[in-house]
This record gives sequence, C-alpha cells and structure tokens, in this order.
Amino acid sequence: MVATDFTSPLMRTTTGGNHHGFTSKFSIRSPSVPNLRQQLYSETNNYSAPAIEGIPNNKDAINDQRSNSEEYGGSLSVIDLYDDNDSESPQKKSTRSITGLEDFQKDVGELNSMSADHSNDDLRRSNSITIDINENEHTDRYGFKKQSTFISEADYNSWWNDYSKYCVRRKFKWKLLLEKGGLPVDNDSPTRFPSKSEKLKRYVRKGIPAEWRGDAWWYFARGQEKLNRHKGVYDTLLVKVNKITEQKDHDNVFTDLEIIERDLNRTFPDNIHFQKQSPQDEEPELIKSLRRVLVAFSLYNPKIGYCQSMNFIAGLLLLFLDEERAFWMLVIITSRYLPGVHDVNLEGVNIDQGVLMLCVKEYLPEIWSYIAPITNKKGASNNRRTTSSTSRKNRSLIIKNEFLYRLPPITLCTASWFMSCFIGILPIETTLRVWDCMFYEESHFLFKISLSILKLSENDLLRHKKHRHGGGILSYGIKGGNSSNTSLGSSNDAASEDGDMEIFQIIQTFPKKLLNPNDIFDKVIFKRKYSFNRLDQDEVDRCRKYVSSQRTKYKHYIDTVEKQEIRGIDKSTNHIGEKENILTSEMDEDTINEALSSEVYGFKRNLTGVHWNNSLKAKVRQMKKKIDREV
Amino acid sequence: MSRSGKALTKYKIVFLGEQGVGKTSLITRFMYDTFDDHYQATIGIDFLSKTMYLDDKTIRLQLWDTAGQERFRSLIPSYIRDSRVAIVVYDITKKKSFEYIDKWIEDVKNERGDDNVILCIVGNKSDLSDERQVTIEEGENKAKILGADIFMETSTKAGYNVKNLFKKIAKSLPEFQNSDTNPLDTDGNGKNNKANESSGDKPGIIDISTNEEQEQAGGCQC
Repeated sequence: MVATDFTSPLMRTTTGGNHHGFTSKFSIRSPSVPNLRQQLYSETNNYSAPAIEGIPNNKDAINDQRSNSEEYGGSLSVIDLYDDNDSESPQKKSTRSITGLEDFQKDVGELNSMSADHSNDDLRRSNSITIDINENEHTDRYGFKKQSTFISEADYNSWWNDYSKYCVRRKFKWKLLLEKGGLPVDNDSPTRFPSKSEKLKRYVRKGIPAEWRGDAWWYFARGQEKLNRHKGVYDTLLVKVNKITEQKDHDNVFTDLEIIERDLNRTFPDNIHFQKQSPQDEEPELIKSLRRVLVAFSLYNPKIGYCQSMNFIAGLLLLFLDEERAFWMLVIITSRYLPGVHDVNLEGVNIDQGVLMLCVKEYLPEIWSYIAPITNKKGASNNRRTTSSTSRKNRSLIIKNEFLYRLPPITLCTASWFMSCFIGILPIETTLRVWDCMFYEESHFLFKISLSILKLSENDLLRHKKHRHGGGILSYGIKGGNSSNTSLGSSNDAASEDGDMEIFQIIQTFPKKLLNPNDIFDKVIFKRKYSFNRLDQDEVDRCRKYVSSQRTKYKHYIDTVEKQEIRGIDKSTNHIGEKENILTSEMDEDTINEALSSEVYGFKRNLTGVHWNNSLKAKVRQMKKKIDREV
Repeated sequence: MSRSGKALTKYKIVFLGEQGVGKTSLITRFMYDTFDDHYQATIGIDFLSKTMYLDDKTIRLQLWDTAGQERFRSLIPSYIRDSRVAIVVYDITKKKSFEYIDKWIEDVKNERGDDNVILCIVGNKSDLSDERQVTIEEGENKAKILGADIFMETSTKAGYNVKNLFKKIAKSLPEFQNSDTNPLDTDGNGKNNKANESSGDKPGIIDISTNEEQEQAGGCQC
C-alpha cells in the first residue's frame, strides 16, 4: 500500500523536483507538498470519476487504468484525462514510482535532526492510510468539504462535473503552450513558464492547472529571487522557532505564539489535511508546518508579527508549496501584494478599502449610491457625523474625501476580502483562480475582482431595493421572510442604518455562492464593457499613495481639532461631531483647507496604458519603472 | 408596500472578546442550535440577523460577530457605536481572556456611554470545569464592578444557558419593558408587529421561539 503511494506521478513530481536544486532540502523539511499532492492525486481520482464517465471516449481508457493500477490512487487525476496521456502505460508509471521512491528514500536519508519529527512515517501515514474513499466523496480535490452553508454537495457535484472537464481542456492548452515555448513539462511539473504576454495573461486568467499551481505562483511571484537573496534565513528562523516552541511558559515570552496556537485548529477545520482523523491522532503535518511558518514569520517581520487571516493564507500556500517556499510566499504576499494590510495598526487595510471605495465611486456609481454616505440630503444620511458636517461651511472639502477616512460600513465586510485574499470569501476553486491572477497581475487584480463581485451583486441589491418602495437609497427593510415589513424610509435615521446592514449582508453573502469561477471571469473580467477592467497596477499604486496621504492629512486635521479629550479618532464619533462644531470655528480656513486640500483623485479615463492626463513627469516615471523592471 | 410601513424593531448586538473564546460558537448555537469543535477564525466582522419571537412580539436581532485579535479593535468601534447590546465573552479556562474583558468594556463605554448599552458578560466553555481558571464568583464580581447588566456562564458545546442569555437580553430591551400598552398581535400570525411602538408585555410568559422561516434569512439572503 505504501509503496503504491509513490506511483503517483504527482508524487514523482515532487520528489523529482528535488533535482532542480534548492527544493530537495526543503521538501524534506516540509512534507506538506508531497502530502497534498499525493492526496490531490488520489482524490482527484475519486472525484473526477463521475465527471469522466460522462465522456464516453475516455471511459475505456479510464477503466483500463483502473484495472491496471494496484490501488485506486494509481490511476486517474485530472492530468490523466488528456488524450495524450491515455496511452501512458502502467509500466511507465511504475518506472516513475521507482525513481520517485528512490528519490524519496534519498531525501529521507538526508533528514537531519531538526526535521526528523516529520519523517517518512508521518508522510506515509497522512498520505495513504487515512484516505477513506467514502469520506472523500464529501471533500474536493484539495481536501475541503464540498458543502458549505451556501452550496450543497449536489450543487457542487453537478458544477464539478462540468468544471473538471474545463480543467482538463485548459491543462491541455497549457501543455501545448509550454511545449511550444520549449519549456519542459517533465513529470507534469513545469518549473519554468513563458514570459509575460497578453496570451499568457489570458491563460492564467482561465486558470493555472491545479497540479502546477504551486510552481507557477512561485515563478510568477518571483519567489526564487527572494529565496536566493535570503538563503538559509528560514533555517535560522526555524532554529529559533524550535527554541521558542519548546519553552513551557512561552505565553509570557512570545504572545504571538499563543495567538497563533489558538488559530491553528481554526484554520480550515473543514479540510481533511488540517484535521486529526481521530482525537488520539497526532497533530496533522500541515498544522505543524503552519505553526512553524507563522511563528517564523512573526520573528522575521515583527512589524506584522501575526495577524489573523495570515493563518488562512499560509494554510492555503502549504497545500500547494513546500514549507520554505510557503514561508517566502507569505512574505511576498504581505509585503508586495498587500502592503501594510496585516500591520499592527491595520492601516494598509484602511488604505486599500479607501482605494476600493474610490474605485467603486468611479467605476460603479450605481453601487456607490448604495454604500456611500449620503451627504447632500439633510436627515437622509446614514451617517450622523456627516450630516452634522454638512451644515458647516468648508465642509464640502471634508466631505469630498471624508469617506476615505471614515470608511463606509461596508468596508468592514470588504476588508476581510483583502486580508485573507478571498479565502473563505469565495469558494475555493474561485479563490484559487483569483490567486492565479494575483500572482501574475499583482495586487490590482484584487481590486478588479472586488469590483466584479460588487458588480455581480448588483442584481441582488436591486431586487432588494424593489421590494422596498420609496424610501431613501439606504433605507431597506428586512430581507427574507419579512419582506412585507418596510422600513420607514429616508426620514428615519435608524431605518437607514438598518438598510446599511441589510446591504452588508447581501454583499457579505454574495461571493460565498460564486461556486463557478467562470461566472466572474466570463461575465465580468473578460468583458471590455466594464470600465474597471482598465484598472491597472499603476493606477492602484497611485491610488494607494493618494488615499494614504489623504488619510494622513485627515488624521492630522482631526488631531488638531480634537487635541483635547477625544482619545481616539476612530472612537466616539458622535463626540467628534460636536467637537468639530466647537473647535473648527476657531481654526482659520487655511488650516482646514490645507489639511484637507483635496485634489480629487483623477482616474485615467482613456485607452489602457495611455495616460493623456498624466504629467510628463509621471510618464517618465513609468518608463523608468518599466525599464527597471526589465533590468 | 401597502402595509403600515412599520419595520420590525431592530437591535444591534455586538459580540466582543479575545479570539477563541467562542463568539462565533455562541452565535451559531443561538442561530442554528449546532456546535462544532472548531470554527474558522473570524476575520473582520460577520453579520447575521435573526428574528426573535417573544411575548407575541417580534424583534429583529442583528448580530455582529467580530475578530478577537487585539489589532482588530481599531476597526470595530465605529461600527458598534449604535449597538444596543454588547456581549463580551471570555473563556473560563483562560484567565487572560477574562482579564482582557476590561478593555473591551472600556471600548463599549467609550462608544455608547454607560447607560445606552445593555452590557453582558459571558463566561463560555463552562463544560470544561476541569480546566477552569476563572470561578463563577470572580465572574460575577467583575460584572458588578464593571456595571454589566447581565452576567452568565454558558457552554456552547453543551448548549447550556445560551437561550437563557438571549431571553435575558430580550427582556432588557425597551420593547419588552413598557407594559402600559395593549399586547400586540397585529395580524394574528405573530409575524408582524409594529415597530418603535411600545408594546405590551405579558409578564412571566417569556418564550423565545426561533422561527424556521426566518432562520434562513440570517444565513442566506438570496
């Protein structure tokens, strides 16, 4: 049984990857990848079976492979569904298995004391013995439970029936693309990918083959560069991690550790790789890896330490990459893609939410009308502070950008989209498609996908609105069984706030039902008619800078206004309103104007890539950047 | 809408407390009467709403589940400013989570002031009596000192005291305080009750029934 585990081409892939250099060392340390890939392989086998049976001409080949393979784990995966793979004989596989096994044993032989605890035995245990076909019927190819609060298993299966075929087609195309480019797809484990192009972008957007994801992400995020610059760093960190985790009273020594500890078992509790099979069992390997990665990260970057949501990011990475690479990807994500988002003060979250709100205002004005604080109608505001502000002169300046500082309530929902990179927000296959694009296109894609989700939720918002008659935009009654109860309308402050929350709920729930990634991609991302598809990284970078400076100015202004008792600007908002009234009258207009001087942010409105309204300086800057990037 | 146009009275309830003390679990027990050993960590804020029937009256509870980690505190205050009810949860097996409730309560008071909020302190995981680090007396004392309106120990695992907690909370709401008007049953099926009007109270008969139809509205909108 154990030996047959290594018949998996995926297993071969992983161990085979060790020949490429650095990985060999790390894959020993981190069993997570072989672990998953093994699982992934055999599970795919189980799950894709119904899908495959739908394809008549593949059926025979499948049955053949089934009967030939010693274990259920030995035959199909998405990979084997390709025509060109049908001919792949069991012999070929067994050859692979031997090589794989040899590699593996060699690796095991190299185990040093530090990694001895996750040895061969653990690997095998978690790989094979625990796989239970019946149980696996309820989990997807990554080990996640198919069913969620919003998606039934039947819905999942019927979608997967089609989507698995789509995956097969896409992988076939990917293979052709790589072969055309002269890039090896050896062992079904390409480690190099074509250079960036519109075509490749389209391929990535249509989904990277699941089995290649780890390597592709690593490649597109330039992980190897990062690792090469920091050789040995993770090893050093692990030594420290071991020391810390061994200490008994670590609670007092290192509080991040305690927090991490509490989140370990709350990371993907519905994924079999993160679960104990029975209470007596040892901790799953992935949980151990997760602990090491998170603790190591908190040591590596004390400015962030540990922030909830990183457990999910690291956890997902560990399903696709070995431990060290997962660690560096976490470093890359938290610095390059989500700068400041996980910092202790979470300012990066606020900045990104400000950027998102600017984008919604610009690109989705219809939706902005649902979520924006209303400032022009007295009493209609869902935001008392703003109302009180409107009555004052100079307020127009404040109001113009106030939402960047006092973010609309909906941002507390959308903030988690960014913090966890959509894990737990979108169903897993959809999340992975977003990740594919994030690593290829950088962080602006997160905004694009957010805007897409909002755009798609528009119907729900509208339907919701239709049920209510009249009333202010924000005045919705109750959704659900109580649609007969309407709210009082815009004149009722409380009702407006309620409306806010019902919208909150729609937007919170909506993405969780987006089971089919192509619903987003085909209906929105690939559609030129949506102006937000013009959004590019440069725009988002500029936007982030702008929002950041606006927020700083606003904070400065508020601080000046309330230097006295008001303790926190985020706190006690009603008080702020009053204080503003008293104090601003004493401030001269210049101070206010300067503090809030709002050059209003201007989006590029023309053809993609052409910046007519940018100054020459900006153009030069961009070109420089481009050259730098190329160099 | 041809109805009188009155909405259900809605009450915001915010759940606060250190991570892992059982906030999500408490909500899930209340909403669906289920329990899991592990819930995914809550990131940011989760929102759920639930219609509650009590004394022939219907109110709408809007539950805000928050992330427990300290750094998330900076995100929360502006959204809890209008919560009528704040439920601060600690874990009876973790002294630290108990010590931290002061901070959360301070946050709440900064937002709402002392009088405008119904403050509940809840010691969860009472089923784990072997690991108890905080006695019930300590909890009661602290609740007194901090001026909490309700103190209770619960076990979301065993389903102990959870319903009671919400009953007590409901009783404290103004909706059920004024007994000078007639009992209200506007359309006979108990589904529509006028909002923002003081409603009758039937003392002694406090029966929280969770309506199945409504339940889905909490979890699934569309």
